[in-house]
Amino acid sequence: MKPISPRNIDYPRPGSYGRGSSPDLDFVYSDADLYDNEISELYSYTEHVEFQLNVKAFEDQMETYDLPPNWQKLTPDNRKSIIFKLLDQLDVAQRDIRMRSARCILYLAQGCWAEIQSDQEQEQHTKDNIKLLYKLGVFASFVELLNLEIRSSSVVQDASVPKPHEVSLSDSTDLRVILSVLYIITETIRTEYEAGQCQEYVDIYQAFQKEVNVPYDEELLTVKLLGMTTRFCSGTAPHFPIKKVLLLLWKVSLLSMGGMSSLRDLKNEYREKNNLDRLKEDTIEITRQMRSSSPPATAADILESQNQKEGRRIAFRRCTNEAFIEEQMDLESQTGMVPNSNNGEAEDDLNDYFRNCNVLPLPEQQENQQPFHNNSMLPWQPKVRQKDLEQFLEISRSKFIGYTLVNDLNTLAGLPEPIHEGYKILKNHMYTSLADVQIKLEENIARNPLTTNEGDIPQTSAEILYQAILPNLPQYMIALLKVLLAASPTSKSKTESINIMSDVLPKEIPLTEMASTKLEIDVNRHKEIIVKAVSGTLLLYLKHFKINHIYQFEFMSQHLVFANCIPLVLKFFNQNITDYVTSKNNIPLLDFPSCVLGDQTNLTSENLVFGDNASFSWRNMFSCINLLRILNKLIKWKHSRVMMLVVFKSAPILKKALKVRHAMMQLYVLKLLKMQTKYLGRQWRKTNMKTISAIYSKVRHRLNDDWAFGNDLESRPWDFQAEECTLRTCVDRFNNRRYPEATLKCQSAMNTQVQEAVNQGDDLQTDNINNNDNGLSLGGNLCMGNSGGDENDADHVRNCGCNGIWLDIKVELTDDFKANYEMWLDEEVSGTPIDWDILIKDFAQPIN
Amino acid sequence: MKMADGTTIIRRNKSGTKAKDFSRWPDEPLEEMDSTLAVQQYIQQLIKNDPSKVEHILTMPLGQEEGVWKYEHLRQFCMELNGLAVRLQKTCFPSTCTQMTATEQWIFLCAAHKTPKECAAIDYTRHTLDGAASLLNSNKYFPSRVSIKESSVAKLGSVCRRVYRIFSHAYFHHRRVFDEFETDTYLCNRFTYFVTKYELMSKENLIVPMNIEENAIPGESEA
Repeated sequence: MKPISPRNIDYPRPGSYGRGSSPDLDFVYSDADLYDNEISELYSYTEHVEFQLNVKAFEDQMETYDLPPNWQKLTPDNRKSIIFKLLDQLDVAQRDIRMRSARCILYLAQGCWAEIQSDQEQEQHTKDNIKLLYKLGVFASFVELLNLEIRSSSVVQDASVPKPHEVSLSDSTDLRVILSVLYIITETIRTEYEAGQCQEYVDIYQAFQKEVNVPYDEELLTVKLLGMTTRFCSGTAPHFPIKKVLLLLWKVSLLSMGGMSSLRDLKNEYREKNNLDRLKEDTIEITRQMRSSSPPATAADILESQNQKEGRRIAFRRCTNEAFIEEQMDLESQTGMVPNSNNGEAEDDLNDYFRNCNVLPLPEQQENQQPFHNNSMLPWQPKVRQKDLEQFLEISRSKFIGYTLVNDLNTLAGLPEPIHEGYKILKNHMYTSLADVQIKLEENIARNPLTTNEGDIPQTSAEILYQAILPNLPQYMIALLKVLLAASPTSKSKTESINIMSDVLPKEIPLTEMASTKLEIDVNRHKEIIVKAVSGTLLLYLKHFKINHIYQFEFMSQHLVFANCIPLVLKFFNQNITDYVTSKNNIPLLDFPSCVLGDQTNLTSENLVFGDNASFSWRNMFSCINLLRILNKLIKWKHSRVMMLVVFKSAPILKKALKVRHAMMQLYVLKLLKMQTKYLGRQWRKTNMKTISAIYSKVRHRLNDDWAFGNDLESRPWDFQAEECTLRTCVDRFNNRRYPEATLKCQSAMNTQVQEAVNQGDDLQTDNINNNDNGLSLGGNLCMGNSGGDENDADHVRNCGCNGIWLDIKVELTDDFKANYEMWLDEEVSGTPIDWDILIKDFAQPIN
Repeated sequence: MKMADGTTIIRRNKSGTKAKDFSRWPDEPLEEMDSTLAVQQYIQQLIKNDPSKVEHILTMPLGQEEGVWKYEHLRQFCMELNGLAVRLQKTCFPSTCTQMTATEQWIFLCAAHKTPKECAAIDYTRHTLDGAASLLNSNKYFPSRVSIKESSVAKLGSVCRRVYRIFSHAYFHHRRVFDEFETDTYLCNRFTYFVTKYELMSKENLIVPMNIEENAIPGESEA
């Protein structure tokens, strides 16, 4: 049986549809790109010279064994014996001998490319060799070797850690060899398992999954890699090849916890365990069938087409006042939801929406039916939280019978018939999430700690990971975000502390024009790959923690928020996002394995793009969607964080992202817009009716949720701090109860780290996503409605986030202080005159 | 234990047992060993009867799980190797053998440390045996001695490679001690046979000369 490589599977490729009929990007979201792309992204183009070193190492090594340097001609026994000898050599003290053996193994993992002609052959050989390598324990040995290399390199450099910008490609040669071998093994096993063509690989996958979920040498591999990232960011190990570290981290996490399909299965499994229904809708499946809306043109676009460049800003001011948005879109005909086009009048839109909503069948009737097959229906079934039902009953009861019944969701006595009907509909759409059950259990345990039994905590891979990273979780999050910030295309290269380019830039900067073009592409590609790996990892962790235990998720997300993840992502999107998703930072001829197979042609400006016919960049689409999903995960149902979206003026940034014609990406943008619509003010709604219609037709409805027009009582601006603190208390109680030791370690480590987080936040702030003066702040008068002005609000939100950490720090007073407390009081407090009026003066100033 | 004939044999060395009576209890067939440590007991029994019957000792009984069989043997090797280590302590000093070497110029790193180091040969021996013991007794990798996960069996290979270096160092640098020990125990012989049979090491790496073929014929063996 000849295993089918992923390239044979019929993936929709660009150009398969005529451009005119469907301009949608046919990007298909999945756990990772095709195998060959994932492998070629491991190497930067500047590493190419090193491929030859691998063959050389292999040939030298074979010479010492008196064998011809031809792997294919060796018998299986011979191959085994050679790998054993190479493994033996990995323990040798002399670095060059040790690394020669490591390079040999890398060459084998690369599929012995010097002996073959085609890339299919190369892939097949890789797969065969990986099987053998894994079975003989190469992976574990390389993890040990990685340990050795991390530690020994730090010993050497303790005396003089090089400045980040002085480090170049040559400082990480050995580490890159080791990480490459680990990565190739991981990715090959993962994709072969997904392809499901080979039973042997399924067995290997299962063994491997167990292996990576058990600590090597007292440390999980994921923890080791996260630790490497932290050390890289702290500047103590600037030579770590960060791209390879992050790629390996992402793939190992993906393999140990599982991707989308296992997430779905796990969620269903957990829901069933808690007596909840299985999921009826799969977000990924539904969005695949959605079509994108045509993008709302921004004012700037229209202007650009009208009068290029000249007088741009002046014209902009004039135009924002006129509602010329009508010309923009053809949304109705796109979605098929509103058949007769109606010039985009708000009222008509609403009528259509309600009519469609009423005919929605009840969930029982459409058990096995994909909701979106029928174009006249909304893609999602509406959901109702218990809280919504409670609210509805409370309001109706106090209105009609004059008093409320707490905790009674059944009695309808005294309520009129229409309320009964409304109640029925709400009840039919009630959705209890896994989180609700977990929170309730947690409350129960807190109330009756002795009588409530949680039972054994199942040691799932997510649970193992959480326990392992808990002591240092805040630092890990900060480190990942720092790298993400440094890799964002919008970031200026002023961040001195880390240099993510150290594993692309060679020692000598090239002189020829061709070489510098090549290097430029390489650098951009490198950054994009880092963003892809970080965003993939963060999203994967959030999703797994969320179903494993909601408070694990909340803990991680709170730390992401404290480390300023929200402004960071917004800043990321504050670029020309259509350019980003269609960027072509690839030189197909230089991708592995093309760069080593067959006759090598010289790179010219003609063949630079030869072979690249994709209309979009897979990895950039993937990163964008990941980042949007992360943002959604962090913000959903959190008022304080929604307000961050508002104060950071995310609306115009998000609107620009809607230009990318991909349904899934648009859905996540629309969700983010939906959350904040009611705070954006009448003016914004008036000029963005098309966007609001798109939200109606694409995003799930929450019955009774007046998201667009409601005046929310909950949104009192000064409650934010309280909200984050309440959440924090719950999370801490959970952590303290389940993981007392790890939590203690985490808190003590945090005291030293908080400062850094805040500083990093300042970096982000000063990089101003707020004051973008390129004339695109469409949402000019965002309606925070209160005095402070946007800058102050931003500060406030940030501070309340960070204060949350300070509140928990226990201050130990010295005995000396306790004994002489009164003296201190006299001297420092009573004895010093305080002019309270100054405070009022200071406070008054920013308002005026 | 057998209750049928009325007498109970306790297979245990009580305190005060004389050296000549040590472990002198009658054999028991494997099927009747009613304990989680049956495989170990069985292996030790075979060794006690005749350590020179290397092949016989390493013949896996029918129905035995191979992972457990390999694991128990490796455990036994490490235990007995302590005997060699003790003898080596009298001749192998950190001042004389400053590095772990055999014939080649290669110096081996001692993997027992957070940062692997070039330990002196005797330290390498001690550290490696300690490391092997703690791995083989680790609850994480080997929670059961009745059934062993495939992923844990994979760990045995690297233990074998490291442990073997003790033999090779002893052979090439302390030949007298090695020979004395080997005549008593046939340990290196058995180890060589073991790693060859289960393909845990490459033949070329087994540098201590052994005549496996000779040993493959039962009863005929000379160190």
